[in-house]
Amino acid sequence: MTRPFLSIRAVRKTFGAFVAVHDVTIDVPKGEFLTFLGPSGSGKSTTLYAIAGFQDPTSGDVLLEDKSLLAVPSHKRNIGMVFQRYTLFPHLSVAENVAFPLRVRRRPDGEVKRKVADMLALVRLEKFADRYPGALSGGQQQRVALARALAYDPPILLMDEPLSALDKKLRQEIQAEIRRIHRETGVTILYVTHDQEEALHLSDRIALFKEGRIEQIGTGEDLYLRPASEFVAGFIGNSNFLPAEHLETESGAATVRLADGSIVKGVKATHALSRGQTARLMVRPEAFRLTPVSGNASLAVEIVDTAFFGDRRRVVARTGSGDEIDVRPSSDAAEPAGADAAASRRIFFDPAQAFLFPA
Amino acid sequence: MLLDYDRLGWLRAVLAAFTALVAAFLLLPVVFIILLSFGSSRWLAFPPTGWTLKWYQELLADPAWINAALTSAKIAAMAAILSVLVGLLASFSLVRGEFPGRQLLRGLLLTPMVLPVVVFAIAVYAFFLRIGLAGTTIGFVIAHTILALPFAIIPIATALEGFDKSIEDAAIVCGASPLQARLRITLPSIRIGIFSAAIFSFLASWDEVVVAIFMASPTLQTLPVKIWGSLRADLSPVVAAASSLLVGLTLCLMIVTALLRRRSSR
Repeated sequence: MTRPFLSIRAVRKTFGAFVAVHDVTIDVPKGEFLTFLGPSGSGKSTTLYAIAGFQDPTSGDVLLEDKSLLAVPSHKRNIGMVFQRYTLFPHLSVAENVAFPLRVRRRPDGEVKRKVADMLALVRLEKFADRYPGALSGGQQQRVALARALAYDPPILLMDEPLSALDKKLRQEIQAEIRRIHRETGVTILYVTHDQEEALHLSDRIALFKEGRIEQIGTGEDLYLRPASEFVAGFIGNSNFLPAEHLETESGAATVRLADGSIVKGVKATHALSRGQTARLMVRPEAFRLTPVSGNASLAVEIVDTAFFGDRRRVVARTGSGDEIDVRPSSDAAEPAGADAAASRRIFFDPAQAFLFPA
Repeated sequence: MLLDYDRLGWLRAVLAAFTALVAAFLLLPVVFIILLSFGSSRWLAFPPTGWTLKWYQELLADPAWINAALTSAKIAAMAAILSVLVGLLASFSLVRGEFPGRQLLRGLLLTPMVLPVVVFAIAVYAFFLRIGLAGTTIGFVIAHTILALPFAIIPIATALEGFDKSIEDAAIVCGASPLQARLRITLPSIRIGIFSAAIFSFLASWDEVVVAIFMASPTLQTLPVKIWGSLRADLSPVVAAASSLLVGLTLCLMIVTALLRRRSSR
């Protein structure tokens, strides 16, 4: 394996007795879009600040092409960063904002001019070059900030929840812009967000943070289809958790007894569980079907509510033991609409798409 | 709310009348002085019997008055520069700093505003006598800088509090050293606060009379001291003319500040 481009090694950050980041280790290949995902206070921003140089880690190291960054002051790290808050320089025009990093590097005028034009074209704001930040919308300001952060061709671009101040529609628009810019520039991006949809949409890989540790790192598909823990399953996508009793596990396939006494064979188990241990069975809403398929397990439920969402239906069902289940079957012809409220019926799921976690 | 202007009813008229009365009480003497400075009577009689500019001519022809005005301007300008510089450094440590006793330091730096001026004047005078600064321009400037400092710290600290430090951090990530980031990004961003601080500091020194009387010597007199002295010697309308000029400059500077603030808030 080739040496990693950016290497975060056992980075730890404590504030008094509180451990904000707990020995986080990640290797990032050149050109990757890696997202730090997690709830607030999970240590994702603190890790990013350690790379930016705003916070010195208590221990551990950050290496860029085998050279430690920690001894280098922030302004000499040559890293690009887009902040959560609007950080354009209010007294400078858009073009002067983008030119600023080049001016402090004393690049010749001609180069500065050319580069500013290139960058504004990259974020499609050529017409706004002479505007002042106060006259721009939030989305435009963040695009200018992106242009400014990329103007000096930094090897890494850090983005700290850059879209959290924008409304949903604008967020999606700029996400598409960020994807395009990543594709066009090939810059390595470390992106922090608490929004799992944003993470899934943008990233090559996602590092899911929980309480200062990385709970799981992998592609969006890895995290969604093969969650390593109940936390991951609950954080990425929608999930139903059913109480279950573990009976036995053989080469990753477990047999469980559900609350209604039925036995389900062949569910996925990534954790070692003992016989009789109480556990939780996770099934994605879209893994449920309303019509039987051979080999599927079934659950007796009462339909509480049902709604039509175009490509999918949404059915709220309640099990005999009172657990509410979110069911999102496909709305095509294979799945009849005959799911009236208050009707008792069975719903079906493929055990291979169910995951068992210790309770 | 306890006192809602819209719900006051007939009390509103009372409030308006009271406010008008207070404003008149504060402003009428100034208006009288200005009117008297154009009056032809030798004895500051009101209402003036005729109108003239001769007191202004007399004022501008007297080198003692001109000198006093120049001295005032010089001391006020130096005090303003010093007070803005010290105020800037103090504001950074008060707003950004995290050290024990920060609130105490803030209080200390703002005391000249609440301390009775005469107490301050006597203390500074006694101290300057001992170290040989009494009656010198430097002593004068130092004393006025201390008095002006709160008027510099308040607007600068307020502007700095309203400035998002992330913007400075962004400049640093962009490659500016922390000092460069402050000089090229932070200072221009809070320039209105700095400008207000300069004007207020200038004015704090420009029309200050109590400390100035203690600091003055026969060769070092500011305009307010000269006015004070002339008032006691003879009650000539030239004093009214000098006072009017003093008020005029103050008013001009306040208007400029207000205009700049309005333009920047748009």
